[in-house]
Amino acid sequence: MHEMGLAVEIHRLAREAVAGRGPGRIEIVRVAVGELSAVEPDLLEFAWEAAVAGTEDAASKLEVDYRPARQTCRVCGEIADRAPGSWLRLCPRCGDALAVSGGDDLDVLQVVFEEDESENRTAEGAAR
Amino acid sequence: MTDIDVRQKVLAANAAAAATLRESFGRSGTLVVNLISSPGSGKTTLLEKTVAALKDTLRLGGLEGDIATERDAERLRKTGIPARQILTGGACHLDARQVDRALAEEGPRLQDLDILFIENVGNLICPTGYDLGEDFKVVLLSVTEGEDKPFKYPAIFSKAAVTVVTKTDLLPYVTFDLAAVKEQVATLAPEGRLVEVSATTGAGMDAWISLLTDALAKKRAAVYAAEGVS
Repeated sequence: MHEMGLAVEIHRLAREAVAGRGPGRIEIVRVAVGELSAVEPDLLEFAWEAAVAGTEDAASKLEVDYRPARQTCRVCGEIADRAPGSWLRLCPRCGDALAVSGGDDLDVLQVVFEEDESENRTAEGAAR
Repeated sequence: MTDIDVRQKVLAANAAAAATLRESFGRSGTLVVNLISSPGSGKTTLLEKTVAALKDTLRLGGLEGDIATERDAERLRKTGIPARQILTGGACHLDARQVDRALAEEGPRLQDLDILFIENVGNLICPTGYDLGEDFKVVLLSVTEGEDKPFKYPAIFSKAAVTVVTKTDLLPYVTFDLAAVKEQVATLAPEGRLVEVSATTGAGMDAWISLLTDALAKKRAAVYAAEGVS
């Protein structure tokens, strides 16, 4: 169960990305989670709630873009109809050996940030 | 509302610490092996027997990751090599900063080595994503665990350069389809090696030992080549 530590790290990276933009709240953090990243999307979303609880981003959402790994056959190409989590040893069409690639993503993609307007107005007012 | 593109690895901080470690292991020519498995598949026993085979000719050391107790580091020290326990206090994996701290605190005894063995916390999932600056990951699978493990835990079996099937002396007493394991590992790690060992009887240990000494020789050759250029 290392999703909690990852959620805290994702929040830290998201906050780093909005540093210097003045006060505001993070609304959404979009992350990519690969099938071979050893991370369970549901657990990560659950851990996110705990990671941001009590912070200014407590109402934020973590959106997981799940990236399956690809299984490809040298002869027939990619096996498109594989269910996530199910692996094939041999190509269902020609019986040749399959290779696995991709699916190791674990990235912060995007942060949606809501600037705090009342604070901005106060700041503008103070500047005037 | 502002959309900000980040495009950053979640484990970037760990990767940076691991890169620093890898550089330093490169300078000292130390081969670093990160051993990962479920609890009880025989990591420490394999290491004890590996040390017995290699300690007269090579400088060896061990880092032992566990949630609690000094037991594994004590077992390795009894074989006559320096070893340090890293207690994670509940965390399910080792990270590069813990390795860096442990090596810094231990000093030259664990830094000036031919091979450093890092025995990760017993877990097939969480250690997968954490680079420790190692040359390669080794995943152990004991014959008592069942042959469906590689497809059940594809991440670690696809990332490990070596799969070690352990406790092969028990094969006559369990239903373990070795051929199925080989097929699964070949699918997940086409470039990977698979060795079968019994640390108890010593069967297959030669292949494992030469895999390590070959990797060390390759690493040293690379270090000398780099020194020759600079």
